[in-house]
Amino acid sequence: MRTLTPQEKRTGRFAGLFIAIYLALFGGFKVWKFFERQRTDYRQLVAEAESLKLEIKRYEAKIAVTTNLMEKFHMNPAKLTRTTVVAEASAAIQKAAKDGGFQLGPVRESPPRPSSKELASIQLEGSGPVQATMALMNRLETCGYPLIIDSAQISADPMKPGQIKLNLTIIILDFESLKKAEVPRA
Amino acid sequence: MNSTPVYIEISQTSLKALRENAGLELPLERSANGRLTDDCKEKIIAGLQPFLDRKPWQPRANAFCAIGANGVSLRRLALPASAKEEFQRLLRLQIENEFPLPPDELAWGWQPIEANNNKASREVLVAAVKKETVEDYANVLSICGVNPVFTVAALTRKSLCPPQLQPYAILELGRSQSELVTFDPGVPVTLRVLPPASDASLAEAVRKTLGANWPGRKLFLTGATDEQAAQLQRQLGSGVACEALKVASILGLKKSVEQNGGSPPLVLQVKARQANGSFNLSAPDVKKWAVRAAALLCALLILPYAEALLLKPFLARKLSALKADKGRLAVIDRELEFLQSLKQTQPPYLDAMYILAKSTPQGGKIDSLTMNRRGDVSLRGSLRDAAQVTDLRTKLIGSGFFANVAVEEQAPTPDRQKLNLRISAQWKSVEARAGLTNGPTADEIEKAKTGGKDTKGGGTMPPGMMPGMPAGGLPPAFKLPPGVSLPADLPPEILKQLQSAQP
Repeated sequence: MRTLTPQEKRTGRFAGLFIAIYLALFGGFKVWKFFERQRTDYRQLVAEAESLKLEIKRYEAKIAVTTNLMEKFHMNPAKLTRTTVVAEASAAIQKAAKDGGFQLGPVRESPPRPSSKELASIQLEGSGPVQATMALMNRLETCGYPLIIDSAQISADPMKPGQIKLNLTIIILDFESLKKAEVPRA
Repeated sequence: MNSTPVYIEISQTSLKALRENAGLELPLERSANGRLTDDCKEKIIAGLQPFLDRKPWQPRANAFCAIGANGVSLRRLALPASAKEEFQRLLRLQIENEFPLPPDELAWGWQPIEANNNKASREVLVAAVKKETVEDYANVLSICGVNPVFTVAALTRKSLCPPQLQPYAILELGRSQSELVTFDPGVPVTLRVLPPASDASLAEAVRKTLGANWPGRKLFLTGATDEQAAQLQRQLGSGVACEALKVASILGLKKSVEQNGGSPPLVLQVKARQANGSFNLSAPDVKKWAVRAAALLCALLILPYAEALLLKPFLARKLSALKADKGRLAVIDRELEFLQSLKQTQPPYLDAMYILAKSTPQGGKIDSLTMNRRGDVSLRGSLRDAAQVTDLRTKLIGSGFFANVAVEEQAPTPDRQKLNLRISAQWKSVEARAGLTNGPTADEIEKAKTGGKDTKGGGTMPPGMMPGMPAGGLPPAFKLPPGVSLPADLPPEILKQLQSAQP
């Protein structure tokens, strides 16, 4: 193989230099693009995280209100199950009446009315002293189940002086389907 | 990346350079004041640049320059031991005191002398020369692309000699002059410029310099042959043995730098003026700051990308976990909505009964009360006369709780003593009732606590509201049935009323 002339060597050097510069620029551009893409993705993630943080912060107040209401009603809606809530609520009502000294009479459970957001309705009758009656009506709100007194009828008990008769119709709300209950005159 | 250092020895008439195995010698032309001529400087630059062969992108190499003894003064100074900054200050003061020129006009350097037992003082050897002499060399060398580091050539020749226990001297024989330096035994004591080797008076000058009482017995010669050494020994004739060191004196500089860890033991401090106002990037200070600035710039450019590269996986993982948990927010929404609707749906039966009890005039009787959650209220009872009926209706309307209060029927009893009546009403919506304060006032609670019998106007259930219900709403001294306790979750006003009614 013949030796290269100085001119050929110089041309070769220039060519090599040009290729090296081209590769450096091309590779550098690729690398820079890669890093830039990573950075853009990261910025997007940061923005997403910021918005999520704001959203969660907004929920702090909601969580506080929810916790207060759960404490007030002694109820955790997440723990209620649709299959057993009617039985449990009925038992809780009867226990509340018994604990308060209210004598229960007949108790009737009815299936829900169609298109209503309730699981069942319970009609109960009984009699007791005024304070036991008042206490029962108050306790129904906080016995841990979504109960609404649909109607109340209070009258004198002619057979038992000093006691009053109470006829209540209680609705057990369907906590799963109820989103926004109508509040007609409540 | 450190470039190979260059060793340069500058005598009165020549400049010798050594780099790796290559050497260069350039003649020097000096003006009457001993400084290099401009023509000489140009020649040096023209000669050194090809020798150094420094490419523009290459860093500057260090050039260790050993200058001749002309104009160099040596002093041994004793300074009190002190901190570094204080020591420098004291040293400058001593130099100012010992030398004819102020330190700023001198290129000076110092090296410690072996510590003596006296810890309270520190002895140093100071070498100084006129600054302008060294600055000329420094400027020329800077233009050539090297960083000059100056020292005194005579002091570096010590490394060429074998270790000595007795005082000794080294004589450099030159074409234009000779240099004699004495050591005692490792510390330089005197430095003199003597006549050249060709001058017959050299031996006499050496003898005179060493003195009659010089305790040394050895004189090393550099740049001399064995014959010259033997001849000088004969001429001195005072028992001083002369030995020619058959190595170039510039190797003493190289050896000295290598033995001392990359720099000569005594460095003459001088700052070269920048040639033509150019900015010397390889000057140590500038280089240091340039490196720092470059590092900061790199950090500035790299950090945003490094942050993205390093933190992205963690952030993505955390974000996906949060998104998975985001479903719980919908549950919270649903639960809150449900609980709020439950709260708003709870009909105010107890409030309604309280207001009815409070509004019923004394002597009135309510036989039955019917309410539903839509707010319809219907009561049946009896009052003494029509005025009480009007009073009841007025109070019910005045309470702000009820709307549409209607006395549907009022009829006298057969004995004409009372009026039977039927009233219907409807309680207002939640929004309309929001501003109302139902329940007993503080005074009423206090009266109930003290067992007050004042039931006029209500505040408690009126007498005869229900059969068997005495005036005041609750029996004045009722007792809870055995095993029955008051529920803690009763509304406060009801609870207080019940508690205060207990004996």
